[in-house]
Amino acid sequence: MMENADYRTGLKPVWCAGCGDYGLLTAFTKRAFPNLGIPNHKIFIVSGIGCSSRLPAYINTYGFNSIHGRAVVIAQGAKLAKPELTVVAMGGDGDFFSIGAGHLPHVVRRNVDITCVMVNNFVYGLTKGQISPTTPNMMYGEGPFLSSEFYPPITPMLDMVSYSVSTKASFIAQGIATDVSHLGWLIEEGIKHKGFSFISVLTPCVTFNPPGLFDKIKENAGYLKAGEPVPLPASLPEKPWIHDPGDIGLALKLAQVPLLKKPLLGIFFQGKST
Amino acid sequence: MRDSITVGSVGAGGDGVVVMGSLLQKLAAAQGYFSQMPRYYGAQIRGGGSAIKISLDAAHLSLTKDVLDILVCFSWEKYLEFKPELSLGADTIVIYEGDPVDGVSLPKSSFQIDFSRISQETGSARNKNIVALGLLNRLLSFPKAGIMRAVESDAELKLLKSNIAALEAGERAFKELSLPDLSLSPARDKSPKIVLQGNEIMARAAIRAGCRAYFGYPITPAAEIMQEIQGHLSAKKGVYIQAEDEIAAAAMTIGASLVGTKSLTGTSGPGLDLMTECIGLASSAEIPMVVIDVQRGGASTGIPSKSEQSDLNHAIYGGHGDAPRVVMAPYDLEGCYRLVIEGFNIAEGFQVPVLLLSDQWLGQTSTAVSDEFMKKNYQIIERKKPAGQASGDYLRYQMTDDFISPMSVAGDEGAIYQATGLTHKENGRPAFDFKTQQSLHEKRWEKLIPLQQRDELVKVFGNEASTKGIITWGSSALVVLDALKSLGLQDEVKVCVPELIYPLPEMVGRFIKATKRLLVVEMNYSGQLHSYLRSQLQLPRNTKLYARAGGRPFSREELAKPIAKMAR
Repeated sequence: MMENADYRTGLKPVWCAGCGDYGLLTAFTKRAFPNLGIPNHKIFIVSGIGCSSRLPAYINTYGFNSIHGRAVVIAQGAKLAKPELTVVAMGGDGDFFSIGAGHLPHVVRRNVDITCVMVNNFVYGLTKGQISPTTPNMMYGEGPFLSSEFYPPITPMLDMVSYSVSTKASFIAQGIATDVSHLGWLIEEGIKHKGFSFISVLTPCVTFNPPGLFDKIKENAGYLKAGEPVPLPASLPEKPWIHDPGDIGLALKLAQVPLLKKPLLGIFFQGKST
Repeated sequence: MRDSITVGSVGAGGDGVVVMGSLLQKLAAAQGYFSQMPRYYGAQIRGGGSAIKISLDAAHLSLTKDVLDILVCFSWEKYLEFKPELSLGADTIVIYEGDPVDGVSLPKSSFQIDFSRISQETGSARNKNIVALGLLNRLLSFPKAGIMRAVESDAELKLLKSNIAALEAGERAFKELSLPDLSLSPARDKSPKIVLQGNEIMARAAIRAGCRAYFGYPITPAAEIMQEIQGHLSAKKGVYIQAEDEIAAAAMTIGASLVGTKSLTGTSGPGLDLMTECIGLASSAEIPMVVIDVQRGGASTGIPSKSEQSDLNHAIYGGHGDAPRVVMAPYDLEGCYRLVIEGFNIAEGFQVPVLLLSDQWLGQTSTAVSDEFMKKNYQIIERKKPAGQASGDYLRYQMTDDFISPMSVAGDEGAIYQATGLTHKENGRPAFDFKTQQSLHEKRWEKLIPLQQRDELVKVFGNEASTKGIITWGSSALVVLDALKSLGLQDEVKVCVPELIYPLPEMVGRFIKATKRLLVVEMNYSGQLHSYLRSQLQLPRNTKLYARAGGRPFSREELAKPIAKMAR
């Protein structure tokens, strides 16, 4: 079991210094995989295209840096054909919520036992800074189509967690790349969960994010802990919302909280294991 | 007594024309007759008109004749919709209900018969088709004992048991008409024939090849592949998923293949478009996969329910970059079976995507044939695996003499690797330099070169010494061969049917080199095979192309002209 000693390959990541993807890499290789004790050859990580999708090359397990948007589908084919493997699909916000968005409701519907790790850096980093479906600010020229003046409820920002809750994924969590222990734990729980698990990872793009975006997220973030009051203003001391990951109704309410107002970290929802 | 007879029938929705054709085919097959029944249908889901045409043959499989021997017509209005497919000649026997409409001239042997009334008298107005079947049984001189035995032999035919009254009413109606003799000779070989469509055969062949995962998205005219394979896979505890689209179907096929399961997807033209990015990925990362494309009329949505051979360009060249793949095309039912097995063998053996081009005609024509080809032994080839327990420095894309690298699958101990669609080194790590790019292209292209020696995947018919030749492919080949026979030119003109099209076997080059007058026949507007052959070989100066759009099958009569001109 020598290979268990280290889940890293010798390859040096291409990421910028300070990129959140390093944190994710550590969460996988130093926390989740060693804690679960899964032999390297029993793990298969499929990624799409983007900065974070380079990750499989840095992890000493079976891996596939595939094509844009299709990681979650390739992963399903692999898991269905060889259920004894631990299969992880990972990619960025562009992968899962733009080009590959059409695949998500179907993997949720099938509840295939794979763990989907969506790295949300709010921007297209690899192509140098274009907007993504989760970018909070509009680029010049897009205003007329999505003007809040005419359609006030519309926000240009697609919320991964909100989407996931509305499609009723059987495990929904959100972590942050700067809290590696917590993120590692979420991935561990996601892998242990029998069914489709969906983990959103908030991560900074040190190169292309507007200054202060991630600092604000980090600063405002609050943790969801089962049995404890939810860190929201609406959760009053006299009538607190007590977090219960088994309650999809509460998960729906939590998912309505705009990410930039109060980023919530933890397990939003976990359905019964099938 | 005749050896072969072509029967046509047409009616409105609810007349049960397709059911009647299918029952007739099965009754005949149980008695040993060969037959072929192409389907003609419109865009309607239910209702509308439908027509069938079936060739029954006592000796061998033959195509339906251009001119019918017998027509059973339930509706002359609907007949007009299918007139080109159901041509009447002076000797055609027509048995019809209702009064003829303008545009129809009845041959001398035409008989009006009130199927509705006769059916009603047997207790139900809905058994018109069974009454007609009873009449046909007598007309063709099927022995009663043979029919009763057949009824017991097949689940669909067993339904006739509750309709015996209607069947017998049809037989009585026959007696009242004075029809010319149209008896069919007893089948030479009385062993029952199986009735299957190309789509079903391809699904069964996949199972035979060891395929244990199918991912597909419903599309006309390929949907029967997924319908057929579902039951087989569930019996074998395999994987079957109706994907959300063809992109997902192809991507799942790749996923299952990467973990070591032989995987298949099937589609038609528009779906092939969506699968293209994954075919490129499989080519680049050297992942075995098999894709069946049941071609239909294009471009775009085109004519979904009719045959055409217009996806060849896409199959060979589709996608960006230089992404080599293997393209094969069966031309008959046996080929549908054999080439799917061969397709898996090549996909696994060469770690390459294999595209099989079928078409609506092959895929959806019900054919009664001897099932010998399904009972034969076929060699099954598995992918090359790393020898013994590999150490930590496994090279997934190792440069070997035959350019094929041992491929471990996820779950194997000691041979971990990370695959990628990026240009990569032998160990799978991304590379961005010219040298690696060049050598990786060499690897992926050169590994396929031995396929050029696969002469057995090129079928040559007729006198090899002849300098007059025809090259054709797919289901068009059947009509070409039949037309030659009816012209009596089968010994004068040789025919080459490449089943393996890309890479092109050298056999095709030798055929062309020994040919002075060449005719290329294919069913697409632009002459895709012709263009492809020109790109690969020096064609004779006297080369002619007969190519036209799909939407109607070729007929002997149609091909007689260009063939006779070439053979002059």
